[in-house]
Formats: sequence, C-alpha cells, structure tokens
Amino acid sequence: MAYSSAQAQEKRRGFLDPRTKLALVLVLAVFVMGGLGGGQLRQIKTVLSALPFLLLLAERQWSRFAKGLAILAIGYGLLLAMPYLPGVLNYIALMCGGILTRFVVTVVMGEYLVATTSVSEFISAMERLHMPQTITIPMSVMFRLFPTIGSEWRSIRRAMAMRGIHLGGVKGGQVLEYQLVPMMTSTVRIGEELSASALTRGLGAPVRRTNICRIGFRAQDFVLLAGCLFVIAVWILELGGVKLW
Amino acid sequence: MKNENKLKGRDLINIGIYSAIYFVILFAVAMLGMIPIFLPLLSVLVPILGGIPFMLFLTKVKKPGMIFIMAMIMGILMLLTGMGPWPLLTCAIAGVLAEICFKSGEYKSAKKAVLCYGLFSMWIFGNYLPLFTDYEGYFAQRADYGQAYIDAVSKLMPLWMAPVLLAACFVCGLLGGLLGRAILKKHFEKAGLA
Repeated sequence: MAYSSAQAQEKRRGFLDPRTKLALVLVLAVFVMGGLGGGQLRQIKTVLSALPFLLLLAERQWSRFAKGLAILAIGYGLLLAMPYLPGVLNYIALMCGGILTRFVVTVVMGEYLVATTSVSEFISAMERLHMPQTITIPMSVMFRLFPTIGSEWRSIRRAMAMRGIHLGGVKGGQVLEYQLVPMMTSTVRIGEELSASALTRGLGAPVRRTNICRIGFRAQDFVLLAGCLFVIAVWILELGGVKLW
Repeated sequence: MKNENKLKGRDLINIGIYSAIYFVILFAVAMLGMIPIFLPLLSVLVPILGGIPFMLFLTKVKKPGMIFIMAMIMGILMLLTGMGPWPLLTCAIAGVLAEICFKSGEYKSAKKAVLCYGLFSMWIFGNYLPLFTDYEGYFAQRADYGQAYIDAVSKLMPLWMAPVLLAACFVCGLLGGLLGRAILKKHFEKAGLA
C-alpha cells in the first residue's frame, strides 16, 4: 500500500506538468504580449489567448476565471467605445484598452501557473530540466514571496492612510519612506523565517534532495507542448519567408 | 578557502527575497511607462527607487556570484514579462561589471557599493534597446496602443537618446545608491536588518 501522503499527492496532482506550464507562459509572453511574429500568426494568437482561460476552467479556478474575463471585457469594451468618445478620452480609452487586452492573457496565464503549482512541484520540475539550483532556489523564493509582498503592502498602505500618509496627502518623499521601508522590513523578516524553515527541511544541503511530488508528462502535456512547437515552427517559417496560407 | 566562497542555501534564499522586493518596485514603477512621457523617465525612477532594496541586499552579499545571479534573474523575468531577449544580454554585462566592482571593495566598501549599484542599474537600458535597434518592429508590436502613443514615443525617443538613457541609468543608479545608503542608516540599521 502506498503512503497516505503519496496518495494525497496523487490527488492534488495538477492537470498539467509544471514544465508544460512554463513553456506555455514563455510562448504567451513572447508571442502574445511581446507581439513577435506577423500577420500569419494572428489567428494562432487568438487561439493561444483563449488557452489560459480554458486551463483555469480545467483546474476549477472559477473566481480567477471570472476576474480575467471581466478585465478582458472591460478592455474590449473600451476599444469598442473608443470611436464615440471625444478628444483626450478617446486616446485614453484606446491606450487602456490596448494595454488591458494585451496584458490580461499573459497575466491570467501567470496567475494560473502560480496558483496551481506548489513550490515543491516547481523545484522538482526544474531539477528534471537540470536547471542549476543557483537559479531555481531564488526563483521559487520569489514566486512564494510575491503574494506575501502584495498583501503586506496593502495592509501597510491602509495603516498609513489612517495616519494621513497617502499619495496626494503629504509629500511624495514621505509616502516613499513610510510605505516602502515598512514593506521591505516586514518582507525581509518573513523571508528570514522562510529561509530558516527551508533550511531545516534540507534545502541547500550537500546531499541530493528527494521529493514526493508526482510530476510527469501526460497526454494533455504532449498536446500542449506540440502546440508550442507548432507556433514556434510557424514563426520560423515566416521568418524564412514561407507563406502557409 | 574555496568551500567558503560557495553559495549556500541561505545566500540563494536571500537573493530571492531581495530580487522579489526589487522586482515589485520595478513593476509598480514600470506601469507608469504606459504614459509616453514617463517612458524615458523610467531610467530615472527605477534606479532611484530600486536603490533602497539593492543597498540592503548588498549588506548580505559576502560571496562572489550573488549580484550576477540577481541580474540574470531580472533578465529572465523581463523575458517572461514580454520585454524580449535584449535585457538578458545587458543583465549579464551589467551583472558582471557590478560583481567585479563590489568584489574589488572586498564586499564591504560603502563607496564601491554605490558604484556597484550604478553599474547594476545599466541593465535597465536593455528594455529600451529594441527602440533603437529595431524601431519599426518595436512599434509594429505596439500598434494596438494607438497612433497617438506611437507618435508621442517616437518624438521622445530620437536616436541620440540612446547614450543619454544609458548615462541616466548609471547616474540615477548612483543617486539611488546614495538614497539607499541614507535609508539604510536611518531605518534598517536601527531595526537590526543591515
């Protein structure tokens, strides 16, 4: 019989392998947000843009799905309303719409990656890619800390606003000092605790670390990875001047 | 001796912590770049504000390689956030220069720390590089921001801005380093963090 924790791991196993998720983030960042590639890729990009939303549905992340969809709707709404707005508003609507529709896909994909990948899954995936620890450990610490920093910053802003220290209230320099400094202080403290806890669990020990996470490629991973390769292949063909359609 | 200079788990975690803070500040400031006038100003604002976490980071740097790794992580993150591959190159160069500079001060000289941050800040220039090397491509990618944005940016970014921006990164890096040191003295040493 398997250990109960191993069973739990199998149950919690995500829909995709972390490596597939990373490949998708890269492809989306480069092609959809970075805007690489010309006319031929336009249809492909539309398909790619739908992908993170489908993945969120597959992982049953309803609230994130709704949030992403709402932002997308606002973006396209602005773009649609743009021609009917006067002067400066027109320009602002176009810019906000352009930015929102462009960023939201990659942001949703990034959220999907962070929300559905545990740190151990990430590390074991990186180990199988033979990434050196000198890169993977700082990276995983960073991804673990981003939400923490966000929530710390929010509560510090609230506390400082109560004392009348907010943008528009007092001088910019003061805002900086009284918001950034506490944010950094608390983040560093949290980080120190994190590092103590990680070290007791053997991170950075001279022996090789084992992991009970179950990762590995399954059918859906192969399909999506093939999709990534296809996009890259189309792009290279396009660079070579080959017209596919 | 060799063993002492090897990066351990704690060092790597420290790199992660400070990179995270630096990146959050960078990201918050970079959002301003959507307004055309702020795009060149990013090379002023990011180095100055980023100086605070970086100076704090340097107090933890005692071994070779830490600054370089942080620079490379910034490069990878820029790639992931759609800035293209150029920042990876500038990050590598700026990282090595900063590393050499801080090492020559034996990882404790305060003046070298400020200079080191100035050199490190030059990686930000990589984000502007496509504007000068691949002008057409840069705007073809951003066509959906609207013609007004493109006009405004191209007016702000003639070719002679390239060296100016690079210099601005460096000088503001120095200023940011000084600001970081001042804040370090005022707050973090008192709090026992530095």
